[in-house]
Amino acid sequence: MHRRQFMQFTRNLGLASSFATLGLTGTSLSAMAANNTPNAATAHIDAMIVDMMVLLEIDTGDMAARRESVTALLKKYFDFPGIARFSAGQYWRAATDAEKREYETIIHEVIVGTVVNNFDQLKGLQYTPVSSTAKGEKLAIVSGEFSDSTGARPSVLVNWRVTTVPGEPIRVLDIEIENISMLITQKQENIAIIRKNKGKFSALIDAMKAKLEG
Amino acid sequence: MLVTRLPSLLGIIGLVTIMAGCSSIPEDQRSDIRDKYENGNRDVFAFNMGVDTYVLEPVASGYRNTVPEGGRSAVKNHLKWASMPSTAINSTLQGKFENAGLATVHFLINGLTLGFADLTEDDAVVQREDFGQTLAAADVPEGSFLMVPVLGPKTTRSLAGTVVEMVLNPLGVLGSGNAAQTVISAQPAVGAVSFRAENFDAINDAKYNAVDPYARTRSVYYQTRRGLLEDRVTQRPGESVNDDEFSDFFEEAN
Repeated sequence: MHRRQFMQFTRNLGLASSFATLGLTGTSLSAMAANNTPNAATAHIDAMIVDMMVLLEIDTGDMAARRESVTALLKKYFDFPGIARFSAGQYWRAATDAEKREYETIIHEVIVGTVVNNFDQLKGLQYTPVSSTAKGEKLAIVSGEFSDSTGARPSVLVNWRVTTVPGEPIRVLDIEIENISMLITQKQENIAIIRKNKGKFSALIDAMKAKLEG
Repeated sequence: MLVTRLPSLLGIIGLVTIMAGCSSIPEDQRSDIRDKYENGNRDVFAFNMGVDTYVLEPVASGYRNTVPEGGRSAVKNHLKWASMPSTAINSTLQGKFENAGLATVHFLINGLTLGFADLTEDDAVVQREDFGQTLAAADVPEGSFLMVPVLGPKTTRSLAGTVVEMVLNPLGVLGSGNAAQTVISAQPAVGAVSFRAENFDAINDAKYNAVDPYARTRSVYYQTRRGLLEDRVTQRPGESVNDDEFSDFFEEAN
């Protein structure tokens, strides 16, 4: 069992804020797995955390540089097309291709912005891998614990939901903390917005754009 | 004893009054099918956000900045200790006798310090059980979503449980002395500040960054509550209450 410095993070309500960060440098242990087992999912998370630590080490607080690094990190380790599709719920199918593309861009921006804004909170934490559990053929839950070496913040168990679709790259789809799934929270919020606007997918895009620009 | 619970009870009475004035809205106009009083709930949520902005958030911020970690932990320990009688009773009602025994032992041992110090090795082994969970175990329907003034999100069932726990709080029996009475009467306010401080960044993220903070709060409440109802007070490795939703996602993709 090895410990690594890494991220902080909030509890209950907020997983959406401090989560995600993932790595950039080095070689990813994950790759595409003909061997998409829970072990490969664990390797993916381990590699992500190593990369993350490197970023935390070299981060100077320059927001432009941080955004660039985080964007590359997330692209490398997260399943953005899957996140977009899942978080749009049943309305994804009804959306036009143009709306889908625009939404993918926006949800990417939202997540990158969240990580960039909460990046400082990720410093000073240690990560301990706990377990990896297959959830069918296409998904695994990799569990790990984040703890603060100073004891100032309580330890938190995190479940990374990792796609293990045969023949496709392994990617992180969701982060779950204390039973709260980031992706399901996003999806339910999105669906609420669409339903309040009579099922218009474009209303969600407009609302998210307004928030990003505001 | 009743006086100490007056603010909370007033909140509930306020909610009932508001709800009495609200009619349920048609399903196709709800942003979530479980939220039949959504319009009224959103009004209450706006009120609660005002309370948060002008009272809770600044107080919690001060609390975080001035009270050292040890002090905040002591407060959290006390609040957890104070919930042990309820956990013991509700565990018994649900037939979870081991948990009831553990809660009783923890309550008695840590009672030496009114719960401010944790004298047991690890109180995480006690699973929190409230009367709302007991009602769920008795197959009482969940009811609709309610946003309660000051108390925040509930379902009809969990609100009923909260009311019962307020009225029948076993700690009230212990509160005959002035000091004990003072400590117990301060619990709701201290609990609110402690919770707000502990989740400061997370709550602020939902409050200021969510496109629809109300919908996000409702989602988080339901997920948290579902975890409690499935006895996952603390998440366990590899286990999730959300597995079905992800299975459906991959099936639909095929």
